[in-house]
Amino acid sequence: MPGGALTVVEAALAALEASRRRIDDLNVYPVPDGDTGTNMTMTVRAVRDALAGATELDAEAELALVARSCLMGARGNSGVILSQLVRGAVEGLNGGPETAGDLAPRLRGASDAGYAAVREPQEGTMLTVARELAERAEALDPALPLGDALAEVVAHGEVALARTQEQLDVLRDAGVVDAGGAGVLELVRGIAALVRGEPLPEPEVGTGPLPEEAVHRELSRYRYCTSFFVEGEEVAPDALERELGAFGDSLLVVGARGAVKVHVHTDEPGRAIALATSVGVIEEVSIENMHVQTAVREERITHSGPPPSTAGPAATAVVAVVAGAGNARLFRDLGAAAIVEGGQTMNPPTSQLLQAIDGLDAAGAVLLPNNKNVILAAEQAAAEAGKPVEVVETTSMQAGLAALVPFDAAAALDENAREMREAATAVRSGAVAPASRAATIDGIEVAEGEFLGLADGAAVAAGASVEEVARAVAAHLLEPGADVLTILLGDGAPSVNGLRDELAEAHPALEIDVHEGGQPHYPLLFAAE
Amino acid sequence: MRLSSETTAVVLDSTADLPEPAARHPNWRLVPLYVRFGDETYRDHVDLGAVEFYEKLRASDAQPQSSQPTPADFEAAFAELEGFERILCVLISGKLSGTAESARLAAQARGDDRVTVIDSESVSGGVVILADAIQRRLDRGTTLEETEEVVARFQRESTILFTVDTLDYLVRGGRVGKAAGLAGQLLSVKPILAIDEGEVEPLKRVRGRQKALGELLRLFEEGTEDGPALHVGVAHADAEAELETLVGRIRELRPQASLDFQAQLGPVIGTHGGPGTIGLFWFRDEE
Repeated sequence: MPGGALTVVEAALAALEASRRRIDDLNVYPVPDGDTGTNMTMTVRAVRDALAGATELDAEAELALVARSCLMGARGNSGVILSQLVRGAVEGLNGGPETAGDLAPRLRGASDAGYAAVREPQEGTMLTVARELAERAEALDPALPLGDALAEVVAHGEVALARTQEQLDVLRDAGVVDAGGAGVLELVRGIAALVRGEPLPEPEVGTGPLPEEAVHRELSRYRYCTSFFVEGEEVAPDALERELGAFGDSLLVVGARGAVKVHVHTDEPGRAIALATSVGVIEEVSIENMHVQTAVREERITHSGPPPSTAGPAATAVVAVVAGAGNARLFRDLGAAAIVEGGQTMNPPTSQLLQAIDGLDAAGAVLLPNNKNVILAAEQAAAEAGKPVEVVETTSMQAGLAALVPFDAAAALDENAREMREAATAVRSGAVAPASRAATIDGIEVAEGEFLGLADGAAVAAGASVEEVARAVAAHLLEPGADVLTILLGDGAPSVNGLRDELAEAHPALEIDVHEGGQPHYPLLFAAE
Repeated sequence: MRLSSETTAVVLDSTADLPEPAARHPNWRLVPLYVRFGDETYRDHVDLGAVEFYEKLRASDAQPQSSQPTPADFEAAFAELEGFERILCVLISGKLSGTAESARLAAQARGDDRVTVIDSESVSGGVVILADAIQRRLDRGTTLEETEEVVARFQRESTILFTVDTLDYLVRGGRVGKAAGLAGQLLSVKPILAIDEGEVEPLKRVRGRQKALGELLRLFEEGTEDGPALHVGVAHADAEAELETLVGRIRELRPQASLDFQAQLGPVIGTHGGPGTIGLFWFRDEE
């Protein structure tokens, strides 16, 4: 194989970057789901950065660094599974593969490690694609040169990926192939191109050298994070960059003449947009107030957790993965010692979870992933941490909040974990989310732009009005009876005062708690207990 | 020396939430604490009763503050009990109030051993349940040693559980103790608290009022056996309807138990627990 590990990783990364947006758009659910493309890209970037920063490593140390940096940088479910595939692929690797006979055990190792990492492996996922790649390589003439073998494997991968749509109901309903599988295939495609000396795929318009998430971590003296897409014959990236730079920072102007994605931090979002509309047509405009998020972050750094009630370190402390400033406040109020920002579309990497755990002044830690896409990363962090960690596998922030109620910093880790698991299962969660595409879920038809109501993980209502859908979700959650209904208002949530009054009248004994959660994507989250 | 109800007086402080102790037993007396609203000071349960207190609390912006009786208050009470050979002061936990300290100073000032100050390590109905246990022994004739034994057993075995609507009042009054870490005020989280060795101890927290009351009952069921020896007390701060529900459930769970105390928490305890506080007290005494 030509070049060292860095060359190979760069080739894989280039292919993945090129398809990042497309993979992101392959949501397996008609709500904005995990940014699989972004997560996988950021995971591979972590490997690239680690290799680029390392000097004078022997081959063995270099491979160990690949496996470790991939795990540490793993974002989201797909990133964590990818890190296992990579580990399985490089484990025991001795010299670059030359033939199909050398390639097959690498791919088999990857597939086996991937399946082993997932508790209940599902077919129709990235695991399936990884396994099919291995099976194809094993079926080839072992003497076949590596470049030809990879071409065969990629061609088969296309078929395997297309088949995922038939293997998983959610994919069939949504009319898409599996996003993680697409990511795996792109990685191998990039490596195949490198080996065969073919040009690497060109990045699509709109994918930049820096992900927006990374930019968001920069300190900005400006208030609004503004981004949009602008198209038009007169759209010139250089000119836009120059003019926007005069009143903003953290500037990204990505694309070619005629079509550009702009991301800028500024106090004058209107001026930025006016600049764009003067040269073209804008789309996907987003303006967010960053000072709220920054304030929360600063608060977290200066005061982590509730005031200490007893001297000395706690027996147990909690790390929670939370989206939204208001929700972070609720988690801290209930005694979470550390908040890691993240959720549905921003899965924190294992390394960030590990850092939060290691920073705790406690004998043991409970980790609340609060999202199914974070559970694997949480488990990896638990396995790597320097202190005992229990992952209480909460799949929603609502369940996470419920789990925190019985938390007692003075109690032992296993006792806390037991009580918290029990509390998490006693809560019934619901949500109202915008549908990103038309689909039929659990027999509920939803059109693009409409809202989908979810209760206990199943779709229960859909419609154009948030209020109407919210009413149906609340009715569903309250039907078996409940003492407390919590409503967390997300970004752009409508007023729920009307619904609140209605529910209070219909359920006189019900306590209704409404809070500004600030979570993205879900205008409303519900918890009934 | 034999002690009897004819020869021995029992002095309670007003935090026992028994506004007319002499009506319960003729040898019982009350020494009130004080509660201050702004510039005005009231004697707990004497100048200001529970019902008016909660009305005032709702109407006033000022936060009430409480203060213990002075040693002179106890001296005056002792002076009025000259007809009794002995005086037993059964008082609120010394870790929650300086009341017992004032009583001790007053007792020492007398220069005799006529007054015995007993720190109940309890509060409100708990103190009454202990005083009742002492009274039962006085009624049949007892000794100081036997009294001390029942006090020691009460301190070990009696239980006080309570829930508050918000920890704010306990925090403001500096009585929150180890419950500070319970926090969770944003999400209507209700703490279940105990008084253990005279101090407020956090037990757990639950979501919502119904679960809090359910948890009190669950702990009561877990910690008691039915029988006439089970002495139970309940108290509320401006939450009478909930208390009635609680009492109904207690009677169902422990039909033979003796429900000896049911009252509204007075101004001083109300100042520290806040409206919505519900307390449950019990002690098993075969006497």
